[in-house]
Amino acid sequence: MKLLNVYRSEPNDDVKKLVEIVSKDRDVVSFDLNVENPDYDKMLDMVFDADQTICWW
Amino acid sequence: MSKKACFLFVNKEYTLDGIRSALGLAVENMYSYGVIMYNEFETISDYHKENIEWVRDMEGDIFTTVDANVEKLGLTKITLEEIGEKLRDMDIIVPYGIMRSDKS
Amino acid sequence: MAKSVGIFVTSPRYMRHVVGITKAAVAKGSKVKVFFSWYSTHLTQCAEFPALCEMENVDVSICADSYKNSGYDVNDVPQGLDAKKMATQAQHGVIIDDYDCYLTL
Repeated sequence: MKLLNVYRSEPNDDVKKLVEIVSKDRDVVSFDLNVENPDYDKMLDMVFDADQTICWW
Repeated sequence: MSKKACFLFVNKEYTLDGIRSALGLAVENMYSYGVIMYNEFETISDYHKENIEWVRDMEGDIFTTVDANVEKLGLTKITLEEIGEKLRDMDIIVPYGIMRSDKS
Repeated sequence: MAKSVGIFVTSPRYMRHVVGITKAAVAKGSKVKVFFSWYSTHLTQCAEFPALCEMENVDVSICADSYKNSGYDVNDVPQGLDAKKMATQAQHGVIIDDYDCYLTL
């Protein structure tokens, strides 16, 4: 199970806790959308490679 | 096999319409769940109560981390840790709307 | 063949990501479906919205109830959108059932 966590903003403590539980024992990568110029092409490569993507707030 | 989806509601202004979206997936033959975090609802309209009941009738549920929502709306209590475990079992996870920083 | 991408939009804050991801996906040969719900229907008023609707291999729809409850007249179809794409939450179900990758923005 390959999981991609995408962050649209800085995660709060509750989001960090949820990510920790959801990510446990899984192959996990992350992508930060909360930057001035996100590399959407790279993000999509990661989305295509993942079994599941979660776009946190 | 029916997919499982869980919506996470963290902003009061987005919650009730989000429950309508959760119902929308339930009627599409998915197991649909929602979790109301942070925000307390004193009352909700009969329309929104019916939406919650329909979600439950279709083998989904609306949970809350807020005790007052359990007492006033009859929602199912859930802890943050339990949400995390539940999300592990979901095909679709929907962090819905926008995050509020003031948690009001 | 590139995987297809479905985007369920519920935040009015991220039109730049909706457009950026959609353009990047189309450039990779993906089919993209974007469904706007609740307050994200305010994004129909963005200057980028008509161009998003007109992109090749991109299917854009909005929740008509959300649009109405966000203060708009459902007879006032947003520029660029086909009137038939003023739709219901069933569009979200289509994204989940028929598209390879699911994103929420």
